[in-house]
Amino acid sequence: MDLFPQFLANGLVMGVFYALSALGLTLIFGLMRVVNFAHGEFYMLGGVSGWFVTNYLGLDFFSGLIVVAAFMAAVGWLVDRFLIERVRGQGEEPGILLTIGLSIFLVNGTLLLVGPAPMKVAGAVAEGPLFFGPIAVTKLRLLAVAVGIALIVGAHLLIRRTRLGAAMRATFQDPMAASLAGIRTGHVYAATFALGCTLAALSGMLLASIYSAQASVGGLISLKSFVVVILGGMGSFAGAIAGGLLLGVAEAMWGGYVSMGMVDVIGFVLVILILLFRPQGLFSIRTERA
Amino acid sequence: MTLERNILLALLAGAALLPFAVSDQYILHLAIMALFYAVLASSLNLVVGYVGEFSLGHTAFLGTGAYTAALLSTQAGMPMWVTIPLAGLVSAVFGFAIGAITLRLQGPYFVIVTLSFAEVLRIIANNWIAVTNGPMGLAGVGQNLFGDVAVTDKAGFFLIVLGIAAVALYLSYRFVYSNAGRAAVAVRENRYVAQSIGVDPFGTAMQAFVLGAFLAGLAGGFYAHYISFVGPEVFRFAFMATMIIMVLLGGKGTLIGPLAGAVIVTVLEEYLREMQELRLTLFGLIVMAIVLFLPNGLMGFIAQRREQQAAKPTLNAAKERTV
Repeated sequence: MDLFPQFLANGLVMGVFYALSALGLTLIFGLMRVVNFAHGEFYMLGGVSGWFVTNYLGLDFFSGLIVVAAFMAAVGWLVDRFLIERVRGQGEEPGILLTIGLSIFLVNGTLLLVGPAPMKVAGAVAEGPLFFGPIAVTKLRLLAVAVGIALIVGAHLLIRRTRLGAAMRATFQDPMAASLAGIRTGHVYAATFALGCTLAALSGMLLASIYSAQASVGGLISLKSFVVVILGGMGSFAGAIAGGLLLGVAEAMWGGYVSMGMVDVIGFVLVILILLFRPQGLFSIRTERA
Repeated sequence: MTLERNILLALLAGAALLPFAVSDQYILHLAIMALFYAVLASSLNLVVGYVGEFSLGHTAFLGTGAYTAALLSTQAGMPMWVTIPLAGLVSAVFGFAIGAITLRLQGPYFVIVTLSFAEVLRIIANNWIAVTNGPMGLAGVGQNLFGDVAVTDKAGFFLIVLGIAAVALYLSYRFVYSNAGRAAVAVRENRYVAQSIGVDPFGTAMQAFVLGAFLAGLAGGFYAHYISFVGPEVFRFAFMATMIIMVLLGGKGTLIGPLAGAVIVTVLEEYLREMQELRLTLFGLIVMAIVLFLPNGLMGFIAQRREQQAAKPTLNAAKERTV
């Protein structure tokens, strides 16, 4: 039992990043209904471009974070305007195939450019543990978690308090009525996709400052983000956060007490159980059934 | 319907002559892989094209079949004519169990939950070392057909996979043009109308799903014997992506489409191999181009062209009349 608080802390740290990445996906998958298999690749690109700007351009961590955010928002915007827009309103299949193609392209393009070696993003503070009673957390992790939480709050404010956020909410309630009211829905879709893409990328960059970025990591991240979105309920902001934390803690507990090898199985078992017994997700307000 | 049947029969007859006409081992290998993928793509097509739900967990059945055949062969020393049908049956049982859970869901939920099942099986295959030998996989799967008669050359394997493909196409054909197949299409086109005339959506979807699982299991069993090695990568998403691309490139909801897709993608992948590292990058671009420019696959494109051709004379006649 003595390791329990430590496992809990580790799980919550991972959970914040799962939540951040899943928030991006809950916008793209939950609201826009694009089953985005390239989500993990956006996460990976965040880590890799974070490595590039901190190691090659010599920026410090925070200006790097801003540059990466701007870059990935542009990537997301372009992907939506040039690819996703052309299959919008045709059901899930073309979107699935399109994003699978995109993810194959992004993974292998990245491998070609930077190779398969792990890349470390230069962190903002020195390594070194801090002790809170029985729990040890490195300063780097604490900072990354703080930034992650700040980003989550920022995204929340963006959706709830700005004109763009109001336009988004209107568009996803009723696209027809929104465009009749003068909202340029094409731009709103692109902005939503860009926001989702940026959130995934920043999660990737933050985690790459703790561990490291790798070109091939995307697939598993895509799947785990889907798991979190379904756990929390499609399109639910709070659900994505709670689902992310839940998955992080569940994985840490399973890894700590049962077995390390099977740790990735937790998410999938959870998602199967959720869809069987509570298909609208744990925290969904709307009673949308699968 | 008869056109489709005749084309399929002609293709099978032509393919049966191939090993006698070609002795190049490399080309035979390509032909074997193309037929193996054709069986897989046809089985996935039953779910994607006729049930109309997008399964991303079809590798679950491929992998189950492959592991079943490999285990029966390495542990019990059974020959191919026993292991491959058993692989299909075990996969069909898995299909029944997984279908009973997943077919209650639709749309994106179905997509994710089928994918979850495949991932769970992959992780189990990777970690249950006592049975599956973990990431090391099961090597040295036997290649004997009956008792001690071993298949030694590529031509023999080609004829076996051709036989499996013939069985797969025959069963698919019989299913698609049966009442159950037509009911499945009715559900795909409009679930509520189909229900209102007494079609049971769950039951018909289940039949297609189990048949698809059975055929994928046969393909997996063949794969285990042909490659002589099975590892957890049979459950990988890469296999799934290849299958989907074949079905959608060829045209889902047709019997010939997946065959054409399987041949084209197998040849394309080989051809791109010359590009070395650029290969998969280009492959990704091609996939995106297909979705954007050929949304209904090759068969859809051909059908569209034929309609345009048929419409042209009447259009011209109408023009002449107005002049």
